[in-house]
Order: sequence, then C-alpha cells, then structure tokens
Amino acid sequence: MRNFSVTIVTDNSTHKFKRLIGKMGTAKPIVALTLTCITWGLILAYVHQITEPKIKEAERKEKEATIEEIFPGCTFEEENGIFYCFQDNRLIGRAVEVETKGYGGSMKVLVGINLDNTVRGVRVLSHNETRGIGSRATEPSYLSQFENLRLEQLAFKPQGKVEAITGATISSRAILEAVKEALEHG
Amino acid sequence: MAEERPSLKWETKKGILKKNPIFVILLGLCPFLAISKSVEDAIGMTLAFGFVLVGTCLVTSLVRRWVPRDIRIPIFVVIIASFVTITELIVKAYSPSLREHLGIFLPLITVNCIVLGRVEAFSSKRSVLESLADAVGMTAGFGLAIISISFIRELLGTGGIKLFGHSFVVLSQPATGFVLSPGGFLVMGAMLALLKKLGVI
Repeated sequence: MRNFSVTIVTDNSTHKFKRLIGKMGTAKPIVALTLTCITWGLILAYVHQITEPKIKEAERKEKEATIEEIFPGCTFEEENGIFYCFQDNRLIGRAVEVETKGYGGSMKVLVGINLDNTVRGVRVLSHNETRGIGSRATEPSYLSQFENLRLEQLAFKPQGKVEAITGATISSRAILEAVKEALEHG
Repeated sequence: MAEERPSLKWETKKGILKKNPIFVILLGLCPFLAISKSVEDAIGMTLAFGFVLVGTCLVTSLVRRWVPRDIRIPIFVVIIASFVTITELIVKAYSPSLREHLGIFLPLITVNCIVLGRVEAFSSKRSVLESLADAVGMTAGFGLAIISISFIRELLGTGGIKLFGHSFVVLSQPATGFVLSPGGFLVMGAMLALLKKLGVI
C-alpha cells in the first residue's frame, strides 16, 4: 500500500478505485467465493446438458443387455416401464425394474419374471453398498438363489427359501424386498 | 529472479522421478493402492487423474492473482471438485465400464492430496506455463508409478495381464494375495526399497 500511495500522484482515478477495493476488504472473500461457485455451477450445468442424453443412452443399453442376460434371445417391448419379452412371437415373461433402499442409498434391481409368476432371474443395475460387505448381496452368485422362487417363498430362512448374507442383512433384505415388490406389483 | 528459476523442461521432468508424487512425495496412496490392481484400470485412472490435475493447475494458475489468500483452499477445492464432476460425467457418458471399474475412486479424486498439494505448493504461485509443465510431469510420474505397480500386482496376483480385450497368461498358479490390499502394500514397499537402493529416487 505504501508503494502505491507514491504512484497515485499521477493517476487519481486508479487511486479512487483501489481505495474502493480496500473498503471492500471484508467483502472480497465472499465475492470471490460466490463468483467461483456461480462460474463453475454454470460450467457444470453446461457439461451436464451435453452429456445427459449420452448417459441415459448408456444406462438404457446396459438395462437392455441385462434383460438379454435374463431372457436370452428374446425381443422386448416396453410398456409403462415394464419390459415384456417375446420369443418366437410368444410372450415368455416380463422384466421389472424396482428401486429400493439399501445400506448405502438407492439401489436399482431388475427382476425377470416367468409367466407363472416365478422369478426368472435377478440382476442389480446400480447400487452404493459397501464394497466387499454389502456388495456381496449384489453379485450373481448370491442373486441366483432367487431363481424359480414363488412369491410365498420369498422370505428369509426358515420361513422362506432365501439365505441372507451374514454382516450384510440390510443389503440382503433390500434385494429381497425389491424382488417381492416386483412380483406383487410389476 | 526469473533467470534463477528452473527451466520448464526440469519442471516437467521432476515429476517423473526426482519428485514423483507417489514414490517420493508419497501422497494419495489410498486410491493408488486401491486402483493398482489391474493395468487397464490404472491407465483409466491415470487419464482421469491427469485431466483433473492439468485442468485444475491451469485454472488456478490463471486466477491466482485474484484469489484472496484467506479463502484460497475453498476456492481451489471448488475448482478441483468441478473438474472431477466434469470427468465423471464424461466417463459416464462415453465409457460406463471404466466408471464401473474406478467406482468410488473416481469422485474421490476431489480429495486426492496430490491434486490439492500441487495446486497449493506450485500452480497457485507460478505462471501458467510452469504450472502446465508441472502438472504434465506429475501426471506422467503418477502414471508411471500406478502402471508399474499394477503390472506387478496383476501379473503375480492373477497370473497374467488383461489389456483392452487381449489377455496374456504367464503364470499357471497365481498368488491371489497380490491383488488384495496386503499385496499392494508389499509391492509398494518392495518397489520403494528397490528404487532407493538403485538410487533412482
């Protein structure tokens, strides 16, 4: 500041401006942080706008690949969020996506259902379960036990036929509830 | 003053060995050990990390004169987090499988201490070109470290290397422990000891 007061003799307008900035001393951090956040918020909104359709497309492709896994070699038609699967123009089942709450937040589960209302196959589309603990309940080796079960068999042992994973009860229950909901409402 | 500063070439080169962020500065080891299980993921992580680091260093160096000292850290973190979000959106849109592999460690680049460390120690004080050189060098050093470690771990742990759909199997009886966390620490320690002994770092 001292240096500066020597130079202002020749330039009065800069002096006034700098004094104004000096008075704004306490406001400066607030203004700087606000401006930073607004700028980056706008940039992020723009990037989001560009990438959103591509992300949706990627998610849809993944979902279709998963349905293909449960019903190999079938064609499907979507109606109200339910995928009806046809083989040789005959309806063989349907796939329902259910959103449920696990230990780490929302979980998307895809349930394939046979015509006789038994489970064809279960796949987890997305989850936020703890790696190595809750995530074990989202793996195919765990999910395969649901295959061919009826609605009334969907309960933990000994009432039903489902085995929960020790240490991951909440995640196991979330999957079970999702499958139940799919059979009841889907 | 300006003449005494190290050349741009040195600023780039130092990140690779002399000031390698992993082997010498020893920052950001948690995501490093978690991702260094497979060469393919390591390459993906290097790209994501490099994009964030170069972008952040560039921007912080550009705005360094207008950032009030008292709140520089929050401002830097906002910039880093924005770059990470951009990276995440791009990866999600164009390579969902990479997103799956990197998992939580992709958004966690935000709190990777290498990034904040370089911004605070270097790019917030230096010119744009110098910061760029530094960021590129640090990315190269990070890549070198993570790819070499993951190569050893994947080779010993799974018996072969899988890269872009091709797989090369070398060992018939792999030691699975190497892809688990203890193996990560072992390989990391052995690598550091070896590099120190050879006088490379």
